[in-house]
Amino acid sequence: MHIDIRQAVSRDPWFVVGFSLGLIFSIMTLLGPPLAPFDPWDISFTPLSPPSARHFLGINDGGQDIFSELLFAVRNTLTFGLISGLVALALGVLIGLAAGWFRGFVDMILMRIADVLLAIPAIMILILTAALFRPSPWVLALILSGMMWPTISKAIRAQTLSLRESLHVRAAAQIGGGNWYIIRRHLMPEMFPLYLIGFAAKARIAMFMEAALAFLGLFDPSRKSLGMMIGYALKYYYMDIWWNWLLPPIACLSLLIMTVTFLAISLEKVLDPRLKEALG
Amino acid sequence: MIFNLKHSAPRRLGLVITFGLAALAMIYLSYSLPRLLPGDFVTAMYSSSDVTLTAEQEAELRAYYTEELGFGHYLVKLFRLDWGYSYAFLTPVSTIFFEALPWSLLLLGTANVISMIIGFVTGVEAAWRRDSRLEKGMVGGMTFIEGIPEISTGVILLVVFALNLQWFPAAGAETAYAEVSLCARLADVGHHLALPLATLVLAYFPGYFLLTRNSMMMVIKAAFVTTARAKGLTARRVRYAHAARNALLPLVTRFGLRLAFMVTGALVVETIFSYPGLGTLLFNAIQARDLPVIQAIVLVSSLMVLTIILGLELVYGMIDPRIEHAH
Repeated sequence: MHIDIRQAVSRDPWFVVGFSLGLIFSIMTLLGPPLAPFDPWDISFTPLSPPSARHFLGINDGGQDIFSELLFAVRNTLTFGLISGLVALALGVLIGLAAGWFRGFVDMILMRIADVLLAIPAIMILILTAALFRPSPWVLALILSGMMWPTISKAIRAQTLSLRESLHVRAAAQIGGGNWYIIRRHLMPEMFPLYLIGFAAKARIAMFMEAALAFLGLFDPSRKSLGMMIGYALKYYYMDIWWNWLLPPIACLSLLIMTVTFLAISLEKVLDPRLKEALG
Repeated sequence: MIFNLKHSAPRRLGLVITFGLAALAMIYLSYSLPRLLPGDFVTAMYSSSDVTLTAEQEAELRAYYTEELGFGHYLVKLFRLDWGYSYAFLTPVSTIFFEALPWSLLLLGTANVISMIIGFVTGVEAAWRRDSRLEKGMVGGMTFIEGIPEISTGVILLVVFALNLQWFPAAGAETAYAEVSLCARLADVGHHLALPLATLVLAYFPGYFLLTRNSMMMVIKAAFVTTARAKGLTARRVRYAHAARNALLPLVTRFGLRLAFMVTGALVVETIFSYPGLGTLLFNAIQARDLPVIQAIVLVSSLMVLTIILGLELVYGMIDPRIEHAH
């Protein structure tokens, strides 16, 4: 897997688009709170007033500034996706490496657990826990990553199995490199492309689920979220609010999901040599 | 792919055991989670709900969730369709569940079949014309559509076609109290189905397209395709009977794997169009904090997904005989 990632990837238009969108969203996330003109929980404005010079996108039914809400919502959805994706990646890499390197009993147990988890629909577990316990979004993000690691670890395990037979790894073992040393110095860096692919795919699923759960009303109502904004705006669809209240969160959510989709597809195309041939 | 493609008898048994374990895990979670809730959750849950309970109903609910008859008894009740009583809808949970189920199956089933067929045919044709401008444009367009989540497509279709143009109804699955002939009724159901169906098809078929195209690209260079062409077979026959058949397997795998993910999409789409399936039922139950209904939908639909995936895993051999002979 020795590919010059930076060069290969920068020539792919999907990556360029995804990366620039991602950059814009990161800036929105980091600078969102200071940029927001009003406190998104401030309910002192006239409900349902149309956009004006002071309020870019108008006011929602609860008397809150929609533009400020939007900035906070993007931030929440994005962080949920990133955290879930990162934790799933960490779990997947560690478990995949352990299964592929130690093989035998460890491998069997870990992969059977992975199979069982793969078969269970994650969204159902999330809905059940969210409806019963009303946990914080972070707990839900962690539960989701606990359900999402199997696909990553299966890919990592397969790669580990082939890498462990390669000359340099066998040489390292021959001159006395310990398990941890070989995993850290030889296996982990070599599989870097797989991490990117796995992370982008999982972050996409997580953002999607966050939006769905929020839309269904399973999060704390005071937590701003794109799904929740869409849900609330949809209740007032008969009023003329769709372009200033309904459309912005939809556009943001679509762009956010597109960003990760483009990145995931382009990374997979560029970094997976087997697919590279197929995708040309 | 979840499993290796080796489907010998022990392999099959392993599959069944894995799915059995997954099903048991789901059932156990559904059994134990409400029991883990701290304090008097019945009061807490229903105090913020639209439902007002009489003292008697409250006692019944509490008894339902705290009875200590054990997991075995819970299993028996599950199979007897005794899923508790909904105080928000004032009916047994299984009744409203089975009223909603056919609509969900109709919507999801049609959406999947249609998107799989469209995705497959366009994917095969695109792969055949590889490196042409048409193919490049198709791949670009599909990648773009793949990036739009169902929530967005659904809301946009609703606003444009149901609210502004008013070509399609905005809610429901059929016109209520319309006593008309069978044909008119079918047309009515189709009319209501159109928008949610379009949303789901738009969400699913790019995935099938990209997958078919990718796996076709690997097959198309194989020697047997050249042989088939050399034999003088028609282009269509080479494309579908020889090449595409070998590209079909990843598609079926994806179909199974995506099912779980599709449930989410269907939940949201049904809610947007107030389609009276399980998704809308779940949404209403969540809004009303109707615990038995939420629990039943979550559990039973997961079990259905599990059964379908298991079924698909077991019929791989029929679709691709190579798997049967691989061992």
